[in-house]
Amino acid sequence: MNWRHLNTVLHRDIGYLAVGLSIVYGVSGLAVNHKADWNPSYRVQKTTRRIDPIAATERAEIIQEALAKLAVGEKPRNAFRPNPATLQLFFKERTFSVDLPTGNVIIEAAHPRPVLFEMNQMHLNTPKRIWTVVADVYAIALIVLAITGMFVLKGKLGITGRGAWLTTTGVLLPVAYWVWYLYFG
Amino acid sequence: MRRIAVSASALLLCVSVVSAAAVKKYGKPLTLKEMTKVSDIYAKPDAFNGKRVKVQGPVVDVCSMQGCWIAIGSDKEFQSIRFKVEEGVIVFPMDSKGLTATVEGVVSVTVMSVADQIAAAQEMEKEKEAGKTAGKTVEKGKEKGAGMGAGMHAEMGGEMGKDKKPFDPKSIKGPKTVIMIKGEAAEIF
Repeated sequence: MNWRHLNTVLHRDIGYLAVGLSIVYGVSGLAVNHKADWNPSYRVQKTTRRIDPIAATERAEIIQEALAKLAVGEKPRNAFRPNPATLQLFFKERTFSVDLPTGNVIIEAAHPRPVLFEMNQMHLNTPKRIWTVVADVYAIALIVLAITGMFVLKGKLGITGRGAWLTTTGVLLPVAYWVWYLYFG
Repeated sequence: MRRIAVSASALLLCVSVVSAAAVKKYGKPLTLKEMTKVSDIYAKPDAFNGKRVKVQGPVVDVCSMQGCWIAIGSDKEFQSIRFKVEEGVIVFPMDSKGLTATVEGVVSVTVMSVADQIAAAQEMEKEKEAGKTAGKTVEKGKEKGAGMGAGMHAEMGGEMGKDKKPFDPKSIKGPKTVIMIKGEAAEIF
């Protein structure tokens, strides 16, 4: 086996192995790149309803009265008053914000986006521990793919021909952008 | 008697393991032993500025865009403190709301100028607009004249349909002291 054949085998097999992770990181990358415009991991829904105003004045009584009027039938995880006019009741998947004087209620529910949530967790390395190793190995695999990719073909389509132009363009892209960013961005 | 002691120990161990598993750890391990009350930080912010503290309380808010901060309710009513982490270092899940957090970090006390406050409020308005057009659903109250009290307006940014008022820079009267904890260690249970 000469070096070029070994190079091709490495590029092919590492490429196959990297397909799954490339899709995870690629899809999540697109999603997270636009996080200023949307929440890539959660779908946040806000709805409103109205109950009678809360008459109680003591914290414990306010909570009891609000729970009774809301008729949620579920014990809240916690309760908090950010200001004298508001009571927040936290349930497993929902938060009720009760405006005590008016009885208006905002119900906020955050649902993880199916598949995308998990992809983002992996992309952002939320699990840490073993996933850090997996992500490091994947990063090294991408470097190996880039290097071996340059030497798969020979001749005018290889690195000495068309490949040289395309590779140079690809290298110049980040360099040129960074120079522009430093001086004009 | 020995059998009872062994059983009790095994049970205790199981309970410990289950309890430990229920605690989600984020970032570095907590190191401080002494707990500080949030109300103490608010009472003497300058004394705590730059000091490392460990505080505990209910998670009353989570950064909905990047999970890069949580707000922790104080031991006193109407007080909460923001625990801010570097973007990407820790991502707090939105379902942390209502759980209890123990966090550790350095207290930061800064004074926001009027111009900074206006810029921050305008940025927040932009984010809210973006949130509405992409995934957030805000349904208007069905009853006519369903107005919110001043308190909820302040907290929710007046997101109640017709009651929504655009941000008025004149509403900012002067510089504002902002107290937060900047850290890298948290446990939520």
